[in-house]
Amino acid sequence: MPIIQVENISKVFRISQKDPGLGGAIKALFRPRYQDKVAVDGINFTVEPGEVVGYIGVNGAGKSTTIKMLTGILVPSGGQIRVLGRDPHRQRVPNARDIGVVFGQRSQLWWDLALIESLNLIAKIYDVEPARYKQLLDQFTETLELKELLHVPIRNMSLGQKMRAELVATLIHEPKIVYLDEPTIGLDLIVKERIREFIKQQNRESGTTVILTTHDLGDIEELCPRVMIIDAGKLIYDGPLGTIKDRFGKFREITFDTAGSLDPFEPPTGTQVVTQEPRKLVLRFDRTVTTASQLASTVMSRVQVADFSLAEPDLSSIVKQIYGGALQKEVSQ
Amino acid sequence: MIQALRRTATAYGVFAALILKRIMAYPLGFWVQFFTQFIVMAVTVYFWRGVYLGQETLGSLNLRQTLTYIMLAQLVMPLLQVSLIVHFGSWLRDGQLAIELLRPVDFQVQNFAQQQVGSWILLLQQLPLLVVAWRLFGLELPADPKVWMAFTISLLSGQAILLFFDWIFACLAFYTTDAFGFYLARTAIAGFFGGVLVPLAMMPGWLQAVAYSIPFAQAISVPVSLLSGITPLSDLPRIWLVQGLWLIGLAGLSRLIFRFALRTVTFQGG
Repeated sequence: MPIIQVENISKVFRISQKDPGLGGAIKALFRPRYQDKVAVDGINFTVEPGEVVGYIGVNGAGKSTTIKMLTGILVPSGGQIRVLGRDPHRQRVPNARDIGVVFGQRSQLWWDLALIESLNLIAKIYDVEPARYKQLLDQFTETLELKELLHVPIRNMSLGQKMRAELVATLIHEPKIVYLDEPTIGLDLIVKERIREFIKQQNRESGTTVILTTHDLGDIEELCPRVMIIDAGKLIYDGPLGTIKDRFGKFREITFDTAGSLDPFEPPTGTQVVTQEPRKLVLRFDRTVTTASQLASTVMSRVQVADFSLAEPDLSSIVKQIYGGALQKEVSQ
Repeated sequence: MIQALRRTATAYGVFAALILKRIMAYPLGFWVQFFTQFIVMAVTVYFWRGVYLGQETLGSLNLRQTLTYIMLAQLVMPLLQVSLIVHFGSWLRDGQLAIELLRPVDFQVQNFAQQQVGSWILLLQQLPLLVVAWRLFGLELPADPKVWMAFTISLLSGQAILLFFDWIFACLAFYTTDAFGFYLARTAIAGFFGGVLVPLAMMPGWLQAVAYSIPFAQAISVPVSLLSGITPLSDLPRIWLVQGLWLIGLAGLSRLIFRFALRTVTFQGG
């Protein structure tokens, strides 16, 4: 039974239009003009308990609007949402008890309080049993290396520290569903890695359902077996990450470390030279035109190869193709 | 049932306690406010002494009654400064309203609990100023506990009325980006029609009618007039009936308007 059911939801924002300058402002007072902007346009999907779903799209595609409707803080203009069997907007308070939300650019922690004070307050608000709270607090602060920061006010924390603190605050009441809206935005690689590990651990050990929106495809590759892609408010893909990799990842890179230097190299059809150095050659090839083994034997016939490696399709280039309309082109063909 | 009630009370208690913690985080603010209010009180007292030079009464009040009223009004005046519309405006602008709505509590009750605690902390912070008013400016307070009781109940009701009114007023922030401008206008109107600057008893009849047709007088003038002896205790049934009607009307309206306004919200970014 799905934990989240979304049926044909849409969201239309009414945006006021003003002419520039004081005259425009005065005119808008007496004759306001509005334009409707369709942020989400009739999307459908379901999510099963324990799934980790990546929800991606370009800026303004409708990702955050969808998440906000799922959390109950925005009312859909049309369609129906059921989260754990409830209408999240009409039953906002009971829904809020069962979910956790991280908005990467905002904080649920109190700016002027020490982290431990904020967490104590949150535990009381969510009525977390004291012994369980202590156990989870120890576990989370250990995993996210926050023990030293418990008595530091939030305002004195770095971005990475704040985000780790935010995750503890979001998960301390053991929500059934967690919405993570760009949780790794602006963070360095080490913090990103730690956060990804923590999310994985929560999903694995507690069965927490995770919906993740991000522009960081590393997050998607590390965490999400399933992706949904939204473009101009419409869901253009919903399926396994591996499927889009196979469908659109037709270019691969093969790197040769050569024992001797290679003469100027004319690549075979469907192949292009990415890098050519005295002892290194990197080729990008279309796997529908040629194969890695054919390419390897061609290069090996020209020069002695000490080692070679084949890189997996690069997700960022796949997503770039999809954002550029590759899916729509495929459908129209 | 009892478990659910306990859980609800704990959650709102946490939000209420939060206000105390946040105020304590900025101790300097207390002294700045005390100093500012002391100056304002001194200026007001000397102003009214000047006004009464050469006359016994003004608008049926003598100097002692007026000074008692004005000093008491100044002591409870911070309660008028509810800045919900500014909070709503900034929460909408920076998207923090999304976070606030994600907390598993009734947003309006949470805010009321916080505002009530904030109001009582403000009153406690006025104690040093009360001592100053008593020792330096001759403030006279009633000895009758019934008057104090009537004042306290009337003040509590007035505060609740004001909060419900401000909740409705704050919903304007959903429709305008000039929340601060509206706040300034409201503060000026509240100070005048609430009876902080001039006792309402001194105003002409038509202006008094305007003052009593908007809710600010219920939060300041009505309770302070009881404590300063301008309104006799025999008026209590009428006062509480009027305050009760304001409370019921504004409470219902505030929930309705907020629910409607929330549907228009657009959270920025992301």
